[in-house]
Amino acid sequence: MEKEKIDHIISKFPETKGNLIGILHEIQNEFRYLPEEELRYLSREIEVPMTQIYSIANFYNRFSLTPTGEHELCVCLGTACHVKGGQNVLNQVKKDLKINEEETTEDMKFTLKVVRCLGACSLAPAVMMDDETHSNMTPDLVKELIKSF
Amino acid sequence: MIQMTLNDKEIEASENSTILEVARKNGIDIPTLCYHEALEPFGVCRLCIVEVGGALRKGIRISCIQNVVDGLIVDTESERVKRNRRFLFELLLARSPDSKELIDLAAKHGVFESRFYEADSDDNCVRCGLCVRVCRDKIGAYALCFAHRGYDRMVTTDFELLSEYCIGCGTCAQICPTGAIKMKDEEGERIIYTKSVVIGKFELETCGKCGMPYASRKYLDFVKRNSDDAMAVSVERNLCPTCARRTGAINLVGQMTL
Repeated sequence: MEKEKIDHIISKFPETKGNLIGILHEIQNEFRYLPEEELRYLSREIEVPMTQIYSIANFYNRFSLTPTGEHELCVCLGTACHVKGGQNVLNQVKKDLKINEEETTEDMKFTLKVVRCLGACSLAPAVMMDDETHSNMTPDLVKELIKSF
Repeated sequence: MIQMTLNDKEIEASENSTILEVARKNGIDIPTLCYHEALEPFGVCRLCIVEVGGALRKGIRISCIQNVVDGLIVDTESERVKRNRRFLFELLLARSPDSKELIDLAAKHGVFESRFYEADSDDNCVRCGLCVRVCRDKIGAYALCFAHRGYDRMVTTDFELLSEYCIGCGTCAQICPTGAIKMKDEEGERIIYTKSVVIGKFELETCGKCGMPYASRKYLDFVKRNSDDAMAVSVERNLCPTCARRTGAINLVGQMTL
């Protein structure tokens, strides 16, 4: 278990109990998921019951309790993207990476997520690779995008 | 005190009480699943709906949450209430088709079958949250929580594993209105479980007098830790509730009279 990393993250927050979601975000960014042992350590350190942390970790899409890949690819299927062919983009990604939604490739390189609206409807269909949004996607363009990583 | 009308009857009620409390005080039966006197109202089962008017805008309200106000008119059995309640019962029956408690409650209000598909993951749980709330707010053990969202929402432990927080008190099993959480004492072992997760599993301590298994060590320690010295002494006597009562009575009135 990587205690030091958790200690460091906790030390960044002057108030810990109220900042639980912020702390979880940092852990998610650090480990690319929320590891069980580290969460249990966190629960003891900031004196928040594990059940409460588990509830929150489960509720938000952003958090994952299983290891995710190096890159996170979010395909938008919000209303605008759906209408403009987001499903075709998704199908192409599934075919190229040989995984389904919420799954990670065997080489731990990509995790595929389906999201509802990235707030980029004018750019539909949109996908988000890590923190970068890519607009006006087509199956061919997304294929290129995956290849470029 | 305020003046209000409850099912066409003028009554007086105290402020700061909910419609449900006032109705029950006046002998009117309103069905509930997620309500319990010992806990804060949660308002999720929606069965306690009533129709209001007068001082509040006309409409359906959740009576376990809505406070009474002066000049309020409440109807607990209007056509609209009955129609909505039937719908709610049908949804709940689809969710927990095998729960005897729910079937009985629905039948009492004239609902015998559901027009909706039965849930495929039938765990009898109606997600009322009584167990989660009692464990958190009253016991203070924090062994249970809700996890996942929407249709997948369920009562479980952290990481859906045997809970290290559970003390084996059994309050969750006792408070569950649909029997979704069960507690079994068998051969000196207590097990508390739902359909999908074992919440707690404990060796039971045996009574120092009659030898009957009666409580988990963790529970006794918990009681000792969270109560005064007098209680701690009685925990240390290591007696089951029956023997403890008997010993107490003997101490009180003397051996001779018993």
